[in-house]
Amino acid sequence: MSNFLRLFKTGLSSFRRNGWLSLASITIMVLTLITMSLFLIVNVVLNTGIQTIQDKIDISVYFNDNAKQKDIISLQDSLAELKEVKSIKYISKEDALAKYRKQNANNPKLLESLKDTENPLPPSLEIKVTTPDKLGALTKVFDEEQYKPYIHKVSYKENQAIIDKLFKATQFTKQVGLGATAVFTATALLIIFNTIKMTIFARREEVDIMKLVGATPNFIKGPFIIEGAIYGIISTFISLLVIAIFLYFLSPALINYFGGVGDSLSDFFLDNIFALVFAQLFVGVLIGVLSSWLAVRKYVKLN
Amino acid sequence: MIYFEHVTKKYEQSEGDKTEALSDVTLHIKPKEFVIVVGHSGAGKSTLIKLINCEIRADEGKVYVGGIDYKELKKRDIPYLRRKIGVVFQDYKLLPKKNVFENIAYALEVSGVKSKDIKTRVPKILEVVGLQKKEKNFPKELSGGERQRVAIARALVHNPRILIADEPTGNLDPRNAWGIIEILIRVNQLGTTVMMTTHNQEIVNKLKKRVVVLKNGKVTKDQATGVYEE
Repeated sequence: MSNFLRLFKTGLSSFRRNGWLSLASITIMVLTLITMSLFLIVNVVLNTGIQTIQDKIDISVYFNDNAKQKDIISLQDSLAELKEVKSIKYISKEDALAKYRKQNANNPKLLESLKDTENPLPPSLEIKVTTPDKLGALTKVFDEEQYKPYIHKVSYKENQAIIDKLFKATQFTKQVGLGATAVFTATALLIIFNTIKMTIFARREEVDIMKLVGATPNFIKGPFIIEGAIYGIISTFISLLVIAIFLYFLSPALINYFGGVGDSLSDFFLDNIFALVFAQLFVGVLIGVLSSWLAVRKYVKLN
Repeated sequence: MIYFEHVTKKYEQSEGDKTEALSDVTLHIKPKEFVIVVGHSGAGKSTLIKLINCEIRADEGKVYVGGIDYKELKKRDIPYLRRKIGVVFQDYKLLPKKNVFENIAYALEVSGVKSKDIKTRVPKILEVVGLQKKEKNFPKELSGGERQRVAIARALVHNPRILIADEPTGNLDPRNAWGIIEILIRVNQLGTTVMMTTHNQEIVNKLKKRVVVLKNGKVTKDQATGVYEE
């Protein structure tokens, strides 16, 4: 314990005394962590948006008036067993009318016109699928001969082209986001590693002196590794502070231009503040420690 | 104490082209001796010291220091060996970001000496080298002579049985140079074996100690109370 405390004290004092080199390492790390975090936040918000759109994609199957309720319920039961189906709901003629009245409560003329006629709305099934790519496969069921006499219309088919495009677009966005995150993380790691490597290169003479007075490789590495961890801790807090300030001032502008996106970003940041602190600390300290360890390892080798 | 037996060390100049820094050197330094190794630049003095401190290994022959056969010495044991030998360098080799106290304490810290003991031992050695009032100063705030005293204090703080000084007066004016030599003599009188390299004729001739002359990597003279002749 006393040895660890000694290494910790040495690391801390070395961090203080290497002012400019420490500042250079922390600046690079802060910039990297900020960019990575913003990238992560935007990615999450984008995915949430995509998920919301996907949730809204459903199939409505409208039945002819001659369709019996038991036939529709029987179809509902058999569809519910399919793994592609997330949820399925039967909307009777009466339910459809009630829903219509509710939706048009502010339009008395429209409601008045319904009074003298028989309920014109068809019964239907509203189906939500697990993923949009399952839509196409599912609609084939309704082409089967046994269901043809009852089915009036399947809504998906009418919007098929738009839904397919939307699905391809969401898939593309996800893949690009994932790829860009991976490439950016790798680049960031490389930049930080090289910055720390250069700071240790500038102090290689110190390492040589430590070796000459009988320090073991681990004793030499210890303070450098602790310094790397300090870089990570300080960078984490600075980057979170900068992101918080950035979102505070930028959210109103984002809301103006992109509707709810600004709010989503701030909400995501606040809702996940502890996860972000932990993730950044983990990444920051890991990068700092690993880079220092790898960089100093070369110079502590004995003959 | 220090024993070189037919030691040869070659350095590679370019691929396949090697020059001999030490050639078939045999040298025996007994405990408590004060030995001065003299020679021009490139004679092999620094190579001799690097071999003792195990910064490099001999290509041929055997090196024994304090009974340890360097051929048998494993890499991981080198730091422990260095803690038994005090080395003073011409360019001081002080840690620039540590103050005088911390530079000396570092030699004890690497050996795992407790902080409490460090706090009592460092001031004592600072008194020996006459730098009691400079413990908070950083190397850049000291004169050449003071820096060399710090280097000597660091080399002596863990009471080594051997003190090696590589041109310790090389960068100093005559007054400071004699101050350093006086400390080395005192240390030797207290029982530490001292080996010093120099090309300062005046110092060698005044000390009247054993002189080993190196020329082109070979021992050309070894006299009990020698003088330095050009």
